[in-house]
Amino acid sequence: MDLITQWLGWMPNLTPGLVISLQLTGLALLIGFPFGLLLAVMAEAKFKPFQWISFAFVEIGRGLPALVLLYLLYFSLPDAGITLTSLTTAIIALSWNTGAYASEYFRAGLAAVPLGQKEAAITSGLSGWTGFRIVILPQALRISTPPLAGLAVLVFQGSALAFVIAVPELMSKAFEIGSITFEYLSVYTLTAVIYGTLTLIFLGLVRILELRLGRHLLRN
Amino acid sequence: MITQLLTSIAQGVGLTLYVTGASLLFGGLIGLVLVGAARSPIAIIRAAATLYINVVRVIPPITWLFLIYFGLPQYALRLSTLQAAIIGFSIIASAFMAEIYRSGLLSIPDGQREAAHALGLSPFTTVGHIITPQAFRVALPAIATYGIGLLKDSALASTIGVREITYYAQQSAKQTHEGLLSFVVAGALYIIISLVVALVARRVDLKLRRKIGVL
Amino acid sequence: MGLSFGTKAPPTALSGEVEVSGLGKKYGVIEVLKDVNISMAEGEVVSVIGPSGAGKSTFLRCLNYLEKPSSGTIAIGGARVVAGEKLPDKASLDHLRRVTGMVFQSFNLFPHLTVMENITLPQRKVLGSSKEQAEEVANQLLKRVGLPEKAKAYPARLSGGQQQRIAIARALALSPKVMLFDEPTSALDPEIGLEVLAVMRDLADEGMTMLVVTHEMHFARDVSERIMVMGNGGVLEIGPSRQVMSEPQNDRTRQFLKAVLDR
Repeated sequence: MDLITQWLGWMPNLTPGLVISLQLTGLALLIGFPFGLLLAVMAEAKFKPFQWISFAFVEIGRGLPALVLLYLLYFSLPDAGITLTSLTTAIIALSWNTGAYASEYFRAGLAAVPLGQKEAAITSGLSGWTGFRIVILPQALRISTPPLAGLAVLVFQGSALAFVIAVPELMSKAFEIGSITFEYLSVYTLTAVIYGTLTLIFLGLVRILELRLGRHLLRN
Repeated sequence: MITQLLTSIAQGVGLTLYVTGASLLFGGLIGLVLVGAARSPIAIIRAAATLYINVVRVIPPITWLFLIYFGLPQYALRLSTLQAAIIGFSIIASAFMAEIYRSGLLSIPDGQREAAHALGLSPFTTVGHIITPQAFRVALPAIATYGIGLLKDSALASTIGVREITYYAQQSAKQTHEGLLSFVVAGALYIIISLVVALVARRVDLKLRRKIGVL
Repeated sequence: MGLSFGTKAPPTALSGEVEVSGLGKKYGVIEVLKDVNISMAEGEVVSVIGPSGAGKSTFLRCLNYLEKPSSGTIAIGGARVVAGEKLPDKASLDHLRRVTGMVFQSFNLFPHLTVMENITLPQRKVLGSSKEQAEEVANQLLKRVGLPEKAKAYPARLSGGQQQRIAIARALALSPKVMLFDEPTSALDPEIGLEVLAVMRDLADEGMTMLVVTHEMHFARDVSERIMVMGNGGVLEIGPSRQVMSEPQNDRTRQFLKAVLDR
């Protein structure tokens, strides 16, 4: 009972943090996914420099720990004369990270569209960009969607990293409460419950999405 | 400048490898128990294993670390930063390793169990000589990939003060005002370690596959 | 269900002999196997034929408890098991598996073990043979199936026909009294299947008791003494091979044979 009262008492302080966590996640996905698709298309381009640029962005975005990428931007951008808020820096880092992983899923999706579809598009007079846009891309996206949705859940968890550069998100708020009340165990348990519950809800949505997308493959 | 930074940040390589290696080892062992429990004939044990795996996975790693490092001492359980990091990452790794083992086991065709059965091999021999060696070979690439993921996650240990690569990079960035260079060096170290792990795993995998003639 | 069976011959006479009575299997309310009876003399070869879904494989897999029958009695080579709700005791099951050897449609060799290890591991674990004993047996069997040079190879390096011959050797290494073949050539190209059938024919000539689920009508007619025709989980008819092939008694047997032989 005490615990519940305590937790309810903290919620007004934690909620604004959660809102920022969700904003951060949403923006990282909104920027990261299109960026990932761009990287995927560039990786398949015939023009070599595009491939190199894509390779560099993907390998840095995936190869570095997200925390290191975050620090890298946080410590170096001001030196380059670019002053951004912590939140903006976190959005950039998380979008880059998201885009790098997403590009792999987009590439896998593009590769999974059978060659026959491309040939059918060409012989139906849909060549080049039009064919890509209305025949290949929709099928590729359908294949990539479940892993991308899974990635979105991970991005939400990854948003907790923004804490280290003092973005006032959920972990920061929890830390604040902890350092005032010294009730660390309780406040981090509550935080874990919040992350866990939301993640479970997201995962549930992903599952529903998968079932809906898979429907055209079912016989009845 | 860069050599100075490198020598200073490279001091963290030891603890990065230690945290990653120890957590992968402990997590791998706990994962074995979990995958066994998840296949137990007793429903409550199965449910407990599944619950554990899911609870661990839906909470961000950094939340786990803080919960353990800041939360447990409240009950007089004092942990060093290193102990807290290894405990935290072992818990996290155990859930993921259990999933990796599980998919390894699923990849073994039913015919293998049936053949062992028909030959009269005991359950113990079947698991020890027929299933596990095959499941391990199938799981090896996934274990290596997860190990590289854990290596990158271990950077989080710097947030509770473990003196690994990211910790030293942060120190250097603050002291030398070479923020970009410090983290470029740190990033390069992570990428080099990842590449070495990936290469070794690939070679072992190829060797195992060549040996049994599936390549 | 304690269906005990009246006509029990002395154990010595049962050696190498198959006595199956009232064998049935249900999945829930669906009866996939109903009242299958067969008795076989030592050294006899019986082919089991019939359309797919007839229950042929289920019947065979119930004999060594790869699948649990719901009712009936199985007596093979001195081992005797009464089917029921509960699984029979471990000793009887182990005995049943000791006296039967099984060859699968998909070979099921252990891919991480060499041919030699595939044949020696069961001997060492089940019979407790020494490495030397097991290898000697394996070498003899490899000669018998015509593959003495493949001892060190891994299964993936062998053709399907070779893998199936090794699988036969692996089963024989435990000196079973009865060999069960579950569509041993169905996964193979017809001409490759012939090399497996040749090994089976030799085995029959040497006096092995064999129960063979097959689609190979030539084998069924020429090698087996009797043919058992199954349909819908039951036995449609059973009789001397040539008689079943030339003058089937049952309408559904006639339809099935017509469909198979006209192809």
